[in-house]
Amino acid sequence: MFEKLQRAFWKALTPDLIAETVAAPVQNELSVGVLSALGGADNLKSQQRVALTRVRVQLQDAGRLDEQALKAAGVPGVMVLAGGVVHLITGL
Amino acid sequence: MTATQPLELLAPLSGVLLALDTVPDPVFSSRLIGDGLCIDPTSQTLCAPLAGVISNIQDSGHAVSVTDDNGVQVLMHIGLDTVNLAGQGFTRLVQEGQRVEVGQPLIEFDADYVALNARSLLTLVLVVSGEPFTVLANGLVEVGQPLMQVSPGEAIEATDEEEGDALFSKPLTLPNANGLHARPAAVFAQAAKGFNASIYLHKQTQSANAKSLVAIMALQTAHGDTLQVSAAGEDAEAAIKALVTLLVEGCGETVAAVAEAVEAVEAVSSATLLRGVCASPGSAFGQVVQVVEPELAITEQGAGEAAERAALQRGLLAATEALQALQAKAAGSAQAEIFRAHQELLEDPTLLEHAHRLLAEGKSAAFAWNSATVATAEQFKALGNTLLAERAADLADVGQRVLKLILGVQDSAWDLPERAILIAEQLTPSQTASLDTRKVLGFVTVGGGATSHVAILARALGLPAICGVSLQVLSLANGKQVLLDADKGELHLNPDLAEIERLEAARQQQTLRRQREVAQASLPATTRDGHHVEVTANVASLQEVEQSLTLGGEGVGLLRSEFLYLDRNRAPSPEEQAGTYTAIARALGAERNLVVRTLDVGGDKPLAYVPMEAETNPFLGLRGIRLCLERPELLREQFRAILASAGFARLHIMLPMVSLLSELHLARKILEEEAAALGLNELPKLGIMIEVPSAALMADVFAPHVDFFSIGTNDLTQYTLAMDRDHPRLASQADSFHPAVLRLIATTVKAAHAHGKWVGVCGALASEALAVPVLIGLGVDELSVSVPLIPTIKATVRELDLADCQIIARQILGLEEAAQVREALSQYHAATVESSSVLEH
Repeated sequence: MFEKLQRAFWKALTPDLIAETVAAPVQNELSVGVLSALGGADNLKSQQRVALTRVRVQLQDAGRLDEQALKAAGVPGVMVLAGGVVHLITGL
Repeated sequence: MTATQPLELLAPLSGVLLALDTVPDPVFSSRLIGDGLCIDPTSQTLCAPLAGVISNIQDSGHAVSVTDDNGVQVLMHIGLDTVNLAGQGFTRLVQEGQRVEVGQPLIEFDADYVALNARSLLTLVLVVSGEPFTVLANGLVEVGQPLMQVSPGEAIEATDEEEGDALFSKPLTLPNANGLHARPAAVFAQAAKGFNASIYLHKQTQSANAKSLVAIMALQTAHGDTLQVSAAGEDAEAAIKALVTLLVEGCGETVAAVAEAVEAVEAVSSATLLRGVCASPGSAFGQVVQVVEPELAITEQGAGEAAERAALQRGLLAATEALQALQAKAAGSAQAEIFRAHQELLEDPTLLEHAHRLLAEGKSAAFAWNSATVATAEQFKALGNTLLAERAADLADVGQRVLKLILGVQDSAWDLPERAILIAEQLTPSQTASLDTRKVLGFVTVGGGATSHVAILARALGLPAICGVSLQVLSLANGKQVLLDADKGELHLNPDLAEIERLEAARQQQTLRRQREVAQASLPATTRDGHHVEVTANVASLQEVEQSLTLGGEGVGLLRSEFLYLDRNRAPSPEEQAGTYTAIARALGAERNLVVRTLDVGGDKPLAYVPMEAETNPFLGLRGIRLCLERPELLREQFRAILASAGFARLHIMLPMVSLLSELHLARKILEEEAAALGLNELPKLGIMIEVPSAALMADVFAPHVDFFSIGTNDLTQYTLAMDRDHPRLASQADSFHPAVLRLIATTVKAAHAHGKWVGVCGALASEALAVPVLIGLGVDELSVSVPLIPTIKATVRELDLADCQIIARQILGLEEAAQVREALSQYHAATVESSSVLEH
């Protein structure tokens, strides 16, 4: 009981610390449009929700990424980084 | 009016634009720092949005501000909580004081590193100098694209003139209900124009030319804002005096009770900070929520004795039911206990007699009940004792509950805003019970102390709280953004970003540290050089014993037996007592110590079933062992009950407040007689508390006659320094870190060890991580600490080195005062923590 309460308050106090650890395993399925713009599901090495507003994906081949198609699929911002890492800005 | 050219700010980054309101960080969304925009970046180089001088760049490289020649200042803050990264992932390309061109790169950052290691990348672009602006873009922006158009008021133009010898007024609180809107602003500007001096009105980091109506309005002041007036020039002093008076009087608007306002302002003067006493540690940044109880209208004359008697009966019955319901859903055992005590107050015969006498005189039920509770509460308070004064607050609370039921006043559930810092003269248990604690970040009260309900509740919830704050706090406007730093006992009314971030970072580190400590709680408390220190628990119930074991407690170093039956009107039966001790001993098991302190009551800690006469100076009266020897049958019965648990744990009995050797001899004789009567062939260990200087000084004389000592630092401190720990003016000096107290501990340990006896510390000092090195260094064998702190104290011991502790302890005994001791220990602590966190990496 006390522990539950304690946890509730820590959560209220530090939403970032607790909410994220809980949210992490629940992966957001990317929509079909987004997946295909990223070069298909098999081009995806990993995906992870990060920094409140982003989905961080790692691509096998960054060359297969289609930025225009991503925007069309409803991802307002895209940040292409080194090593096949791409941040999809999905908003709050 | 000389119009300054509008200024275009260029986007410092590419990315997605967001409104400031949506930023999930109240420091920014509240606009405390300033108004502006937020960009979720897709580029990794932050560029200057305007030409100017780098007025500030954080060492950690996560924030920078640029000020142009007209005084427009723009702050850019990359990411949320990025201060915690301590510079990792950021590269500064410019230095403070450097002049930069628009578009010049200022900071490079590794977006992937920040995204993976900080809370967010959301980057704030804030016009901290306060000029109004319009937004020129939406959706996606490219770096260098026009972002905002700032209209520098004439306010800014004159900034240079004022530089130099500007005089500043003391801060004052704006009394106008709607802030300085057009009419009062015009009155103010008109008055300012009457002076030659250049005059500015300041609100936090923003300022406005006081002679400009538009500039004043652009400040967007609100009721309760803290303002300052500055002036430079010949008649500066006269200008400030006149304008401050004008502001306080409402600038031509009627403001609630001007006389009071003036007083309040004088009191608030220089108040960007209010001080109190820490009731529960921690810190929080949130908004003021004032808690006010409605006044109840009570008619004196009743509508017939029978009807009023029935009304009172109904009220009492309904209150009893409500209190039972509250106990059932109480947030913790502490709270449930409080409501059970309240329920007992409802049956108090003196209270009911008083009320019924008034009913017989034809008074109304409400009047009779109110008079009875108020009169009794006054009696409690008049006894001049903190603990009883707290009970007076309970009585007032119960009184109010029944009164509302009689009068049919509905208790409206509080509709709290998010991030509330509750401010009240005194919060009652009933108020806190109906609280939506998810929305509360902290408590600030005028009354109360470390033993008040607010303090107990706040500690149970892990929320920061301060008590004993001056009355001015009640005049703070609802919704005002404040920073509560309970560790220092401070409430900051105009917190700055750096301070908020520092506390935020400290809190997060503390949370992580706490998680690590709890995870490692079962490890032994052994110093790096292999010296084991026993860490045990201070407990007052079986429940706490069980909790202590899950948190790594190695036994019970202090069982406060008087708390087992605190709310009783009658002494518990011998069987019941024996049952309680046995249950606790069984929970611990035969391998662990159980130290039971015999009843420690007296005039300052009264027990309902041990009636005693009032004393003029209860702290120097019949307390602890003195009272028990005065009523030996009480002590005998308790010994019998404790002895019933022999064998289930390693039983120790401890006598409180011993100051004379004869007391120890008498008590031992009684114990031996009771043990013989029960046919025990082995006596439990018998020790004494060292909490009176005479006992510490004579420890070498006591040592051969005891099995152990346990030092009660709270009383030892107050008796050594002759300062009441609860005294409002002396409390801060009644510090257990005083070298005099530490020398007595050293004397005690030396005497005990010379006779092969062990020494524990069960006072509050043992629960302070800062004190651990000196206690270990002095040779203390056991630390008995409050249950939640067991993991912390054990972790602290594991970081230390006995040899170092002995050196620091020797040095500290030679210092002059408590502050120096704390300083020395803080430095030592910083050094050990630093080196141990390096080890972890």
